[in-house]
Amino acid sequence: MATDVSIIGQSARVRGRVVGTADVEVLGFVDGEVAVTGSVTVGVHGMVGAGIKGRRIVVRGSVRGDLVGSEAVLVEEGARVVGDVRAPSVAIASGALVRGFVQAGEPDTTPATRTTETARAVPASSVTARAVAKPPVAAPVAAAPRAVAAVHHPPPQVRVTTPVRSPAPRAAAPAHPPAVAANPPAPHPTPRQPPPPVVPAFKKARGQMVKKRER
Amino acid sequence: MASTVIGAGITIEGEITTDEDVVVAGTVRGKVTAKEAVTIEPGAVVEADVAGSSLAIAGSLTGNVTAVERVDLQSGSRVIGNVKAARVTIADGAQFKGNVDMDV
Repeated sequence: MATDVSIIGQSARVRGRVVGTADVEVLGFVDGEVAVTGSVTVGVHGMVGAGIKGRRIVVRGSVRGDLVGSEAVLVEEGARVVGDVRAPSVAIASGALVRGFVQAGEPDTTPATRTTETARAVPASSVTARAVAKPPVAAPVAAAPRAVAAVHHPPPQVRVTTPVRSPAPRAAAPAHPPAVAANPPAPHPTPRQPPPPVVPAFKKARGQMVKKRER
Repeated sequence: MASTVIGAGITIEGEITTDEDVVVAGTVRGKVTAKEAVTIEPGAVVEADVAGSSLAIAGSLTGNVTAVERVDLQSGSRVIGNVKAARVTIADGAQFKGNVDMDV
């Protein structure tokens, strides 16, 4: 029985942590951290929803989380990685998609985790340092309270989910308070707005949902 | 072979759901749900509710076991929990504590 290597099958879905001392091959979906001392392979159809720690990490599928390899990280063609990549040896093949901070080589004076976390705490510099293309107006406003939270919580999940969310509610949120401040003596607590346009039902419902979220 | 194998030295803390076979030789805490056969090898430690079409247990299992077809508690296995299946065998040398429900 070939039980020395663990396989998460193609139709399998693991919700939770995968830890241990052996090799792991993810062909299905792991919605949680994978932390082993052996090597980790994420297959073409494999997906990992959180960080991966391993000796040698090979990604051909999708990972949303940090890749930390004690020996090497190989991001193959067709792979999608949203998260930081850290290993003594990092290879990103052409045709792979990576969004995040990449640190190849030995972490020199300070530990790698500290440097990246302090970089995260300063929103403006981290945004420019990262290869992530973000709207520059929304980033500092939205990142400022997040940076405080990032001190206590491990930030990767927070960071990683941000670009995925639709930008519409965030763009609307900062625009709203200045509108209130512009006309403070307004009798109504909400700023003056044009009457809701006559639109098909689904658009109207969507507008109401946005209004609820703002309050 | 694309079925799921939890090798020795690997621990899964959480839920495994699959349409294929599952072979556990390591440790699983949580829940295992498969549409096909589930095999718990000698030396495996499973602290989970296990469901599958047929189950062969040779390791240690704590939790309730449900199978569509059959459950085999092999010699050397150690099972604490309720077993529900149409056919249940308990081999000589298997340790078992729990209820058996054979749907009669």
